Amino acid sequence: MANNRENWGSKLGVILAVAGSAVGLGNFLRFPVQAATNGGGAFIIPYLIAFVFLGIPLAWIEWTLGRYAGYHNYGTSPSTYHVIFRKKKPWAKYLGSLGLLPPIFIIFYYGFIQSWILAFAFYSATGTLMDVVAQGPEKMTEFFGNYIMLKTCVGGIPVAIIFFLITFIANMVVLSFGVRKGIERANKICMPILLILGLVLVARVLTLPGIGKGLAFMWNPDFSQLASPKIWMAAAGQVFFTMSLGMAIIFCYASYLKPKEDLVLSSLTASATNGFAEVIIGGTVVIPMAVLVAGANIEECAKLGTFGLGFQTMPYVFGTLPFGGFLQTVWFAMLFFAGITSAISIIQPLISFCEDDLKFTRKKSVTTISTITFIGSLTAIFGLAAGTVDELDFWGGTYLIVFVGMIQAILFSFVLGRRNAKEAQANGDLPAEVNVELGENEAFAAMNDGSQLKLPRFLRPIIMYVCPIYLIVLLISFTATDGLPFITLSNVNPNDTVQLLGHTFSKIGFTWAFRGFLLVLFLLLNLAIAYAWRKGGPAEKGRSKKIKKMEIGNSDSTEEA
Amino acid sequence: MNAEFTTGGIAFMVCAWGAITGLCAFCFYKVFKKK
Repeated sequence: MANNRENWGSKLGVILAVAGSAVGLGNFLRFPVQAATNGGGAFIIPYLIAFVFLGIPLAWIEWTLGRYAGYHNYGTSPSTYHVIFRKKKPWAKYLGSLGLLPPIFIIFYYGFIQSWILAFAFYSATGTLMDVVAQGPEKMTEFFGNYIMLKTCVGGIPVAIIFFLITFIANMVVLSFGVRKGIERANKICMPILLILGLVLVARVLTLPGIGKGLAFMWNPDFSQLASPKIWMAAAGQVFFTMSLGMAIIFCYASYLKPKEDLVLSSLTASATNGFAEVIIGGTVVIPMAVLVAGANIEECAKLGTFGLGFQTMPYVFGTLPFGGFLQTVWFAMLFFAGITSAISIIQPLISFCEDDLKFTRKKSVTTISTITFIGSLTAIFGLAAGTVDELDFWGGTYLIVFVGMIQAILFSFVLGRRNAKEAQANGDLPAEVNVELGENEAFAAMNDGSQLKLPRFLRPIIMYVCPIYLIVLLISFTATDGLPFITLSNVNPNDTVQLLGHTFSKIGFTWAFRGFLLVLFLLLNLAIAYAWRKGGPAEKGRSKKIKKMEIGNSDSTEEA
Repeated sequence: MNAEFTTGGIAFMVCAWGAITGLCAFCFYKVFKKK
């Protein structure tokens, strides 16, 4: 069980990396949209309850499973599930393949959206966006629409493609430097800048005349709406999305923890940082400002969705204020820093799969994942109007993450949580160095290993029982309400058509064909898993010697080693 | 939509901000504290 994988350079590094992954468009755009469409102040109460009883416990679970993966030199769920079942259940690794689907599906569209932010930051800094704002909100909508539909060109090449290529290369360059020199360093630079930019915007918004009306919409509590199950479901879904749960990211990042590195405190700190960005920055900037401008139309405004609010409403709102160009630039710069730390975190589990299961070198891993990601992104770039991004977001960014989260909670509570830690050490499932109290189970022994802040015992029933039940109820209720109509396409008019590369297709036919493409990807992933775990295959061998191992620094140091 | 920011709203916002800021302060204090 000797660990020959990379490790984080410092505790602060891993905390900022996980927080950087979590703090993204979900905090600054999705959260305000959810709040605005679910009763404003009424939404905050179920949100905070879901944060405490679902988000924080599931984050601890995912960190622990990630550490468990790291004990065995893996970083993703297929191999880890195989190991959890002591290599006796051949189906376990294929069940684990579901855990890799969210990052694959999400990165196909996330990189493209990240490139919009870079482009709009550029347009803000050069004053182009202020010129558009001066022509009115309709012009702003048209400008954004032309950009994402590839109608804005330079020399015959769509500008959106140029910015996508720049963003794509930047992400891959960061990842090619590895965990410590790439991901950790990028987060240590981006996260403080992001938080400072966010606080600049908060300070500006709070000093606007008449902002009380906007804050009232967001913060005046409305207890009468708490009886609505829809609000509770939306709040739980938001917590899931914003904390990057079930996306294989925390799982993968935690697998790079050093031996005897604290987990409970690091996880809580990353969750709290994400909560700060969401509640204080996300909850203060977007909706209160939009209320000032849109007034009674705020719910209509929110129905424009995450992108409409972020790329049309906000630039327009900022543009109407003094120093509007500067505020627009701060807004998009903040989103860009949030986007890059999230994008690299989505790709890293796929690189880990190549390095740890297929035993590729880092260069080969980055090249392989770059190629797959680039081809997949083309489906989002050219298929945006045909609904490919909606499909990728539903399966990768909504449905599967809850399903994977539920599997993780069940594995933690009812597999590892039922096994004696001492026996696990005797079997080689837990390293001998892990301090185990008499009668302790494998799940909490791994969670508390090297802990600076031990998990209080009264929280154990919440993690073991409340969290899995919460997830099962969430999954069933989501499937029954929003899920089934989307899956069966019952809400699509049979006569609807979509356009792709100049050709017209039936919307229903195209959607099923695209789902077929996603299914092929799923089958190819499982073929790769079968190849890795074949008799004498690479998955059982140690990590490739060609991957340079970083020296292990001082765990307690907050400086880079 | 034209509701004024009520005392309850201010209290709710301040409590939520205080709770999340307090949690952050507690966590980062522990992280930076030498063993």
